Amino acid sequence: MSYSLSVLPEAPAGLPVYPNLTVVYNMSWYIFLTLLSLTLCLGSCLFHIGKLVSMGKPADHSDPIGNEKEGILYSFTGGMSPSKKESAFLHLPTYIAGLLYHIGTFLSFGLLLLILAGISLPAIVKLILGGFLILTASCGLGIFVKRFIKPHLRQLSNPDDYISNLLVTAFQVVTAIQLHIPIIAYFMISSALLLYLPLGKLKHMVYFFAARYQLGFFYGRRGVWPPKN
Amino acid sequence: MAILSEKNITKGLSILQNYTDNKLLTHLNSCVHCGLCAESCMYYLTYKEARFVPAQKVDFIMSVYKRYFTFLGKHVPFLSKARDLNDESSSEMVDLFFGACTLCGRCTMHCSIGVDIAFLVRTGRVMLAEMGMIPASIQSTVDASIQTGNNMGITKEEFVDTIQWLEDDLKDELEDPEARIPLNEKGKKILYTLNPREPKFFPLSISAMAKIFHFAKESWTLSTEMYDVTNYGFFTGNIGEATTITKRLHEEVKNLEAKELILAECGHGSRAFRWEGPNYLNQSFEYTARTSVELIADYLKEGRIRVDKNRLKQRVTLHDPCNLVRNGGIINEQRYILHQIANDFVEMTPYGVDNFCCGGGGGQLAMSEYNERRMGIGGRKADQIKDTKANIVVTPCHNCVDQLIQINAHYKLNVQIKTLAEVVADALI
Ligand code: SF4
Ligand code: SF4
Repeated sequence: MSYSLSVLPEAPAGLPVYPNLTVVYNMSWYIFLTLLSLTLCLGSCLFHIGKLVSMGKPADHSDPIGNEKEGILYSFTGGMSPSKKESAFLHLPTYIAGLLYHIGTFLSFGLLLLILAGISLPAIVKLILGGFLILTASCGLGIFVKRFIKPHLRQLSNPDDYISNLLVTAFQVVTAIQLHIPIIAYFMISSALLLYLPLGKLKHMVYFFAARYQLGFFYGRRGVWPPKN
Repeated sequence: MAILSEKNITKGLSILQNYTDNKLLTHLNSCVHCGLCAESCMYYLTYKEARFVPAQKVDFIMSVYKRYFTFLGKHVPFLSKARDLNDESSSEMVDLFFGACTLCGRCTMHCSIGVDIAFLVRTGRVMLAEMGMIPASIQSTVDASIQTGNNMGITKEEFVDTIQWLEDDLKDELEDPEARIPLNEKGKKILYTLNPREPKFFPLSISAMAKIFHFAKESWTLSTEMYDVTNYGFFTGNIGEATTITKRLHEEVKNLEAKELILAECGHGSRAFRWEGPNYLNQSFEYTARTSVELIADYLKEGRIRVDKNRLKQRVTLHDPCNLVRNGGIINEQRYILHQIANDFVEMTPYGVDNFCCGGGGGQLAMSEYNERRMGIGGRKADQIKDTKANIVVTPCHNCVDQLIQINAHYKLNVQIKTLAEVVADALI
């Protein structure tokens, strides 16, 4: 069973019938908390984006020998392909696990919006998505274990890395459960993740796009990307 | 006892705060500590020490940034291991940023996110420069440039003498009394630069380029006032000094009314002038600035010089200088040239934009305190060269030539190291 606002307790009789107020009153505290966290998260992300946009990209007076736009396009496409990045082709299992883990995260965010909007999904879809999320969460757990057991990774890591990894993994697990059995923990973990996201390393969700843009601009202008041979 | 004053700490931190665009902010917030960049860096590959993983270098500057400029870092520093900027952390920064990175950018290209690691390390050097912590060895190279006009402190008399005997030799070799190495001539099409290692140690590479100009019937000149293509200010992080050096060369192009500045075979020098220079001076250049590699490729394509492909009998391989190739986009020109003059040209593995640094970049050759480490990382290049079974290694960078000569001796490779101009000059017909 999926949650929808309509299954929550009714407002007491006699309450003035202002639709919005009624909805707020009817809302459980944990849904309210999740919505509040989502708002704060989106607000913070928009703040980060706004800061990046308002500062603008570097002014470059050099004479380009390549095309910045093509470089940026390549940065988001071919430049990310496993065959081009050592970080991918030398570490294929980690790369695949990371990819699945990120797909699971975006899927979980999508499902959070559906759940908050009270939109229910067919049982078969919920079954498939739940299974897939368990798989992606296992990938997250695998990454966690790898971080812990590889000496150079352990030395590089800080509590933020472990917390972020655990929060996102837990988010995927509770999303998988929530699809079948509604639990309050789902809203608690979602809220914790949403509140933490803009503070720690998870804000790379915003900065990733800026970094790839910058890199595409740099290599594009200098004629390095797209590759010439 | 604390060595760093509060004032110097504030100056260092100001670099992380007073950015004018979003580049630094972006890269300071992007690393996810996946550690997948480790195997892209020859320091880590050689020494297998966790502190040499590129992300550790990123983390040093990021952790200081977090400590002073982010909510979590300010209030709960242990969460992100946010660091204070103090004597201990700044000494480690010197060792990592100056002594354990050639700024080759190989890790940048292969980072899973797209963090510009080399840019962050360079920013770290800028911080250290602000804090008065540039290693004295590399700073002396910049001082020589600022004080004498070239990084080797060659006097004008010495330089003019060298050029004159090179010109006499050229006339003899070509049996042409008209062959020249012009000095300070105004209104020529090209102002050509040199790496000061050429007049000091490798004068034949000047003759080689002069011969190419002669065969191409080029209108060109050298300057006695400012011929140095290098700019170690780019490596030290002292932007003011990098700008002074750039400005001198820029002024000399205008003074001699040249249409084009040709940057000698020097990876960092050509990058510092062509790509960073306009930004140091905050203006576009009204003349063209390009490398001798592009010029020679054009001469061949346009038929202005001709070469005999059969003269070079030995196997040739190519070392791609990081600043020219991965960071400068000159990728196919040198290959085009070598295919014209060599029957047996083989690539290293990997090559081009993925090539490994020779180990001498980032100012390493100027910092003798890191010599042992530098020769250690050079082992990767030695292996790459051995695998090609080449007899000649060509590289369009005098800095790389120097490092490759040392690698050649250290690892007993028994190869010849040559610049591009040298092999082209030998093949001219
Ligand atoms: S690959 Fe990039 S994101 Fe990953 S640790 Fe290295 S620098 Fe950071
Ligand atoms: S720029 Fe080159 S030397 Fe420096 S960390 Fe990256 S790969 Fe290593």
